[in-house]
Amino acid sequence: MKKMKTLMFLFMMVALVLAGCSSGGGDQGSDESGNGGGGNASVDVNIVAHPAYSLKASDQKVVGYLKNSISTFEDKNNANVDLTAYSSNISEAMAKLIEQASQDRAPDVAQIDAHILPRYYDYLQPLDPYLKKYNISLDDFYPFAKKVMKGPDGKIYGVQFTTDVRVMFYRKDLVSSPPKTWSDVLELGKKLKKQGYYPFLYPAGRGEGTTVTTILPMFWGQGGKLVDDQGKPVFGKGKNKQAMLNVLKFLDQTVKTGITPKRVSTYGSESDLNAEVATGKVAMFLGGNWQASQIKHILGEDEFKKWGVAPIPHKEGAEIATTAGGWAWAMFAKDKDKQKTAVDFLAQTFVGNEGMASWSNIGGYLPVRKPVYKTDEYKGGKFTDTFKKHLSKYAKARPSSEAYPEISAQLQIAVSSVVSESKTPEQALADAWSAVKAK
Amino acid sequence: MTDARVDEVKTSSKAQKRSFIQVLGNTPIPWILPLALILICIFLYPIIEIVRLSFTNASLVGDDYSYTLSSYTSLFTSPGFIKMLWVTGFFVGFSVLFQMAFGFVIALMIDQGTKRNLVGTVVTRTAVLSAWAIPGVIIGIIWSLLYSETESGILNYFLSLAGVTNPVAFLSDPINALISVTVANVWRGTAFSMIFVYAGLQTFPNDVIEAAKIDGAGAFQRLFKVIIPILKPIILVNLIVITVETFNTFDMVMALTGGGPGRSTEVIALSIYNQIFNNFHLGEGAAAAVLLLVINIALTVVYFRFLEKGSKEGRA
Repeated sequence: MKKMKTLMFLFMMVALVLAGCSSGGGDQGSDESGNGGGGNASVDVNIVAHPAYSLKASDQKVVGYLKNSISTFEDKNNANVDLTAYSSNISEAMAKLIEQASQDRAPDVAQIDAHILPRYYDYLQPLDPYLKKYNISLDDFYPFAKKVMKGPDGKIYGVQFTTDVRVMFYRKDLVSSPPKTWSDVLELGKKLKKQGYYPFLYPAGRGEGTTVTTILPMFWGQGGKLVDDQGKPVFGKGKNKQAMLNVLKFLDQTVKTGITPKRVSTYGSESDLNAEVATGKVAMFLGGNWQASQIKHILGEDEFKKWGVAPIPHKEGAEIATTAGGWAWAMFAKDKDKQKTAVDFLAQTFVGNEGMASWSNIGGYLPVRKPVYKTDEYKGGKFTDTFKKHLSKYAKARPSSEAYPEISAQLQIAVSSVVSESKTPEQALADAWSAVKAK
Repeated sequence: MTDARVDEVKTSSKAQKRSFIQVLGNTPIPWILPLALILICIFLYPIIEIVRLSFTNASLVGDDYSYTLSSYTSLFTSPGFIKMLWVTGFFVGFSVLFQMAFGFVIALMIDQGTKRNLVGTVVTRTAVLSAWAIPGVIIGIIWSLLYSETESGILNYFLSLAGVTNPVAFLSDPINALISVTVANVWRGTAFSMIFVYAGLQTFPNDVIEAAKIDGAGAFQRLFKVIIPILKPIILVNLIVITVETFNTFDMVMALTGGGPGRSTEVIALSIYNQIFNNFHLGEGAAAAVLLLVINIALTVVYFRFLEKGSKEGRA
């Protein structure tokens, strides 16, 4: 009897499970037939973005803009846009994306750190036919963006939609004319130090800010190269080695003369310097364009008026140079309908004149297409003209080489060791080079 | 074959089957099997995979790799390798020493407080425990605010009130940074040792202490001759757990210093994370992970030997 009851129970369970499955199947079937009958299938597009550029952003203005844009788009088109975020550890997220793409599991569209876009070319779909519709051409973009967007076959494999650039911020009431060269910095710095200021700050800790803001502009200004045309590291060889050594020696001098406090060796990101700026004792610092709005927010309108921006100082006889970063959208989906719908959405929200202007206003980014600056929608800030000049004349993007993350990490260790006075510039460079070469 | 014979064969095969199931049922196999399968899937397989990857030049990006010893050679010959071992040794050694000492003292105090019905023992216990319950990354951020070397730095502010004019370079000086990270880790880990010792004290036979008191043992004699020897097994297990845990700590260090300045606070666990997730060197990261595993196993074996020896001596 007991056995019978158990059997009955099992039978009912199996029947229930089967019923569940079949009803699920039925739903799917009716869905498909519905679509087929209407002849107007809804297109699902899944877009994966950096958390701060997605519906998970902490900035409610960003979330509001995106939600609004998605619902307007979905109302106008028969489409579902699913905008999600990847991990906030960017290098990890980028690595995972390549892995997914290599296994054909990538999302339809993904946001990619622009300088490494070339590493994804093999998995990406060209966007040229869709961009023509919006009159978007490669020539609209700044040179560094053009370089990464255009694949080896001349087709466009991604659309950069934001950019940023590094400059020197300085207090106009303390610095009458911003120093152009390293010796100018040291000379002026000594005077400012006597007056009780922190004359010259820069990120020198273990973080990408140190590489892009402190090292690369000063290194590139001397004609230095991190990698050769094949992407192999060369920063520790010949002229490049000398250029890198010059940078490290200059940073060493800034600490030894006391114009830069040793604690900058704990700042790996540009925004880490904001707390220093808030003390009102900083005279000059190297940072990114986005810090202008942050500083304005921290200091208030009146104090912010004292600040100006200038090119990052270079070695005597070298040139002005700086680093531009930014993000690009790239298409993995092979389905033409998906491609078309996705590009339509991206154009409306991020890439078209109006979209890029609105997005840049909300997020405080710099538009990467030149015509956008002329639109009525783009508001810009006090330093927009200087930033534009930097983007068109001095800016370069980091190399897309696979060796770059290791090079950058080792250079951060080198700078941080020199600034904390635990290694000489020569020793630090030799260690960085041998660590990179061993890979 | 006659019917009777067929029946006989059937019953005997039934009996055999039954006896096999019975025999199996009487062994621990059916009970251990589910757990063994789970352990193989979630512990053994990843370990084997890590060991395998450590003998490759695999990258986190891309699927191509070949078998080689280069991950180990480049790990052992890299310029910062010896320093990394030294940094990890310092961090783990001092963290464990002070976590044990402070945990023990706090547990004794709370135990005494409870016995004497003092007010606030529960609050103290909860306060100490909260340090342990906070995620490592948050602890890193809290301590970076405390250690900040700007005018907004909390510790430096109190030091300035005490007359220290130049701010202390808690994180930007290589040696100070290592000490600062270790102090933050001791703060975080003390609670765990406290729970262990406190739990031990709860099961402590009070008559032994009474007997020691009657025999005329002073407070220190009671501590070193009675309490510590009886708690020894618990202290040793605690030692193993916190040693392994400290060796594997990287979240707090990452948030506090990121391994800097230079590589002065880069412990092995953080270096594994950096190698794999920032530099994408899966092979080399795996090699460092295997090294960490070997160190952890070796230390655990040493501790166990010590524990066995202690208990044998105790019995003798």
